[in-house]
Amino acid sequence: MADVPHGLAVPRGFRDILPTEARELHAIERLLMGTFASYGYVPLEPPAVEFATGALTLDERRVLRFLDRDGRLLALRPDVTTAVARVVAQRYGRSDAALRLSYFTPVFREEPSMRGSEREYDQAGVELIGAKGALADAEVIGLLGDALARCGLRSAEIDVGHVGYVAGFLEELAPERREASAGRIRDGDLVGALVAAREHGLPDRRAGALEAGLRHRGSDLSALRADAPAASVQALDELAALAPLLEAAGVGGAVRYDLGFVPALAYYSGVVFQVTVPDLGFAVAAGGRYDGLLGRFGGDRAATGFGIAVPHLHQAIVAEGWAVTDEAPLVILGPGGDDIATLRAATALRGAGVAVAIGEVAETAGRPTVRAKVVDERHVEFEGSRRTVDELVAALRR
Amino acid sequence: MSRPLRLALPQGALWEETLVALEAAGLATGALRDGGRRLVIEAGAVRYILARPSDIPTYVAHGAADAGIVGKDVLLESDADVLELADLRYGRCRFVVAAPADTLDRSLDEYRHLGSLEVATKYPRVAAEHFQRRGIQVEIIKLGGSAEVAPQVGLADWIVDLVATGRTLAENRLAVVEEIATCTARLVANRVAYARDRERIATLARKLEDWAGRGGSASSDARSSR
Repeated sequence: MADVPHGLAVPRGFRDILPTEARELHAIERLLMGTFASYGYVPLEPPAVEFATGALTLDERRVLRFLDRDGRLLALRPDVTTAVARVVAQRYGRSDAALRLSYFTPVFREEPSMRGSEREYDQAGVELIGAKGALADAEVIGLLGDALARCGLRSAEIDVGHVGYVAGFLEELAPERREASAGRIRDGDLVGALVAAREHGLPDRRAGALEAGLRHRGSDLSALRADAPAASVQALDELAALAPLLEAAGVGGAVRYDLGFVPALAYYSGVVFQVTVPDLGFAVAAGGRYDGLLGRFGGDRAATGFGIAVPHLHQAIVAEGWAVTDEAPLVILGPGGDDIATLRAATALRGAGVAVAIGEVAETAGRPTVRAKVVDERHVEFEGSRRTVDELVAALRR
Repeated sequence: MSRPLRLALPQGALWEETLVALEAAGLATGALRDGGRRLVIEAGAVRYILARPSDIPTYVAHGAADAGIVGKDVLLESDADVLELADLRYGRCRFVVAAPADTLDRSLDEYRHLGSLEVATKYPRVAAEHFQRRGIQVEIIKLGGSAEVAPQVGLADWIVDLVATGRTLAENRLAVVEEIATCTARLVANRVAYARDRERIATLARKLEDWAGRGGSASSDARSSR
């Protein structure tokens, strides 16, 4: 270990993204941002660093923090939603109209060592601010399904749940008793949550219904209404109203209603969703309604959105055989004896929209290449015969 | 479903009762009983992965296994992001704080005097969280085994340890100061696997819970060796 010079290592959880992967990530960025734009979402680029006290959405131990020279505690942004909430409160606080924002940017998370976890990765997503109700929920879930499909993801399922379902049961407990169960459910301890709820006075009939609800997944939610409290039934009603809208938005086939899906973050307030693929132990994307979050920076605004973990999406589509298809081949142009003729031929090709590199190329990053050799400024040798520059361009277009 | 359900099972103290539980839930376990030294065993629609208990949360959290059976004690110490779906009620044991029976008063005196206690344990996360919750300042000393010895040899004032019967504590003249948590075996699942493979995993959870509710494994003292 001591033999590796410090300058050649990178801190754990950070890594070099080499050209082949970087090229694929750029293609994913074009596909995602293009889809977001086609739904009217405009890009927002918050800074990578914020005041550490501003972060709302994540356990402080998961945030990478440091002091600057002014003695202020700063944080590398752990998510984009918090930054969006701040920007909206600061700059769009007076507006009531719907705001559609999108991003594709790295986020930073502190991870325990020896877990094989990355501390920096790209996240892509949208936030729809100021729009309430099923139409807005269907818009973002439909957009997520569309964006992933345009990236070629075929095996995705979208789990749709509602945090109001579990909350409805826990509202039957004394207010100071609710968080003991709610927190355990968010942490994944369903056993402990039900034990705590029973201990704190949730009747057996209700506890049984909650347990059955947490295990239910599918399209038919009617069986869950029987022993559910009114607030939980209302959450089921909202999901039932959402179903035909998701069909109309084109994602009906991928959607599974899943009340056992409760996100780990506490700020969600309504319909929530995640995207899974079969052979990856982590969700590809997740999101939901978070009407209360913006209120912490100023006025309450309805809000919903999602984040896509780009490395997981990349891994999933590569496993399905995806490759970058929106790039034409690179022409590797062998120079003729005359440098001026070589440069003029290259310029003419580039002018016709062809990518050209002169000489040898050590790293193609997986991009397809063709070879040609300069004869003179208007002619190249290609596939064994002499062609004009225009003939080469036409041959590549085919 | 084409793919087998990948189920991680704990080698060691929970092994025998885990097989009984799986049989009761209708899973084929014959191949496990005569599996020899193989650690990945196919049995019909299930692929068993045999692992050290403390590794099971990691397998499941990363999705290398869809589900697993592991003690709550291991889950508390690991802090891995998994779903706990069913309490199987066997492998019962307790996390306790223990101190030398004859010097408990003296160590409390010392705490008032010096403001901190030294606590030896194999379970530093459980110990640290417990004392933080209680507002007691401690220095945790992490050991690889037998924390019971630490007070006798002057390494620490108190210990945090896992006990089944309390016999080991008594033999080392230690008394329980307080109980931190009672632990039993749990069925855990990966969050994504629980979404994608809900039918099979939820059915397994329900069957195991029903079996445990009917009295489950006869012996609740599998760890009486402690």
